[in-house]
Amino acid sequence: MPELNVLLPNLMKRLPEFWKACGDTLLMEAWSGAIIFVFGLVFGIILTVTKPGGIMENKPIYQILDKIINLFRSIPFIILLTALMPLSRWIMGTAIYVRGVIVPLVFGATPFFSRQVESALAQTDKGLVEAALSMGSSPFEVIFRVYLRESLAPIIRAITITIISLLGLTAMAGAVGAGGLGDFAIRYGHDRNMIDITWVVVSVLVIGVSVVQWLGEYFARKNTH
Amino acid sequence: MIELEHVVKNFRLNKNDSAIHAVNDVSLKIDDGEIFGIIGFSGAGKSTLVRCINLLERPDSGSVKIDGVEMTELKPRELYKARTKIGMIFQQFNLMPSRTVFQNVAYPLKGMTKDEIKKKVRELLALVEIGDKENAYPSELSGGQKQRVAIARALANDPTILLCDEATSALDPQTTGSILQLLKDLNKKLGLTMVVITHEMEVVKNICRKAAVMDAGKIIESGDVFTIFSDPKHPVTRNFVRTTSNLSKIEILIKDNSPMVKLKPGELMARLVYIHADVSEPLISYASREFDIEINIILADVEIVAGAMVGGTVVIFNGPRERINKAIEYYQSKDIRVEVIQDAGA
Repeated sequence: MPELNVLLPNLMKRLPEFWKACGDTLLMEAWSGAIIFVFGLVFGIILTVTKPGGIMENKPIYQILDKIINLFRSIPFIILLTALMPLSRWIMGTAIYVRGVIVPLVFGATPFFSRQVESALAQTDKGLVEAALSMGSSPFEVIFRVYLRESLAPIIRAITITIISLLGLTAMAGAVGAGGLGDFAIRYGHDRNMIDITWVVVSVLVIGVSVVQWLGEYFARKNTH
Repeated sequence: MIELEHVVKNFRLNKNDSAIHAVNDVSLKIDDGEIFGIIGFSGAGKSTLVRCINLLERPDSGSVKIDGVEMTELKPRELYKARTKIGMIFQQFNLMPSRTVFQNVAYPLKGMTKDEIKKKVRELLALVEIGDKENAYPSELSGGQKQRVAIARALANDPTILLCDEATSALDPQTTGSILQLLKDLNKKLGLTMVVITHEMEVVKNICRKAAVMDAGKIIESGDVFTIFSDPKHPVTRNFVRTTSNLSKIEILIKDNSPMVKLKPGELMARLVYIHADVSEPLISYASREFDIEINIILADVEIVAGAMVGGTVVIFNGPRERINKAIEYYQSKDIRVEVIQDAGA
């Protein structure tokens, strides 16, 4: 298409690199997202059931987890990126490219998602938990059959928000050699002043965020009665 | 049989706060098949007490025995099992909003095939007369319908005990009536022992034979409902009875200086309260004829409690004083409590 060559001259010359950047961003999202989902869900549940008045009240566990999450939430991500490089090298064998950035992404977003899960589960009516216990449910049954099942919609919303904020983190990770769309936009759009590349990357991100938001809202609504 | 002995449950908001005695040394015995009421103003500790029966609240001290089994000594697994035999319903119904009526009632059923579950749930829904709603979600039901579903769910594992925590307090009077009727029927049909927590006198009057009155974590009065309400001993119980009786309106009339209650010289106003269950004689007209005085009824309030009459009248006596006194003596001999409210002198 000749029109595109005129409109987006720099991008069209770097199309293969652009597609690879898109793929890298998706890779980072998928890998770190999956790990964050598992850890965040577990931590969110532990926070909910061990907090004072919870069904498995346990002060030491709650206090320790609560403080660790606060600690990691207060460290700016750009610092976490560099600080965790040794750990990343140790676990993943490298501190650069997609593989090298999974560890900081997980450390950066798990605390956020844990809090999101905690607040989603907190919306569960205490009466439901009480009713389930009165019917002879064990605490584990209450977790799976009441907490998780009854707060499916808010959990889906928490996942949506986390995926979107993770997208922002992957762009930042690009700055330290992770690749992906953020890196692509900074190297060409910003450093070499190729405005068309900046615009296209931003548009792709806007579309991505909108799709995630729409899907999240759709499934959340489907699970609300 | 439910036996509570010296049950104590304290709450502390903070570590250094002084304890709030939610339940303070309560002992109770509830027989099989009985509908037992526990009544009190809000904050009296009723809800905490009922939760001590199925150990949703673990007592700080004391003993909770159900059919001879000490609940506080059960291991967790045994406790979960024991709880399946103690149904509970709540003021806010507590149905799971993401599940249909059918799924809600099926929640506590375990170790059954799909067909068995289907059969059991349909039986239960038929029992509470709401069989046509099995695919509805709780949000589509009225309050009364929700409570019926909650009752079906509480009965899923064929419990012998049903705990009702303010089960009708969120319902309008008519719906309350129909739910109470249902509970009464279930008590007869299934021989369920029921513990009914409420702040509404009407509920206790309607379905309980025995009751306890609770205040500040203690049971201040207990016995059969008729005795409690016809002849309350404790001020809190009296207060309770008064709030629901029309006879208390006389005080308001007097305060407002209503011409209805202005006494002429020689007149005497008194409250006649029936204490015994066998008031069937024509007491007013008999005394009026026998002692040749006028007895003017200002207010009357008679209710049926536990199958017997409770209540009384406020009357103005008019006539020679010695004959009025004779009439009063006559009433007292019939075990009617006479409280003089105003006396215009002889």
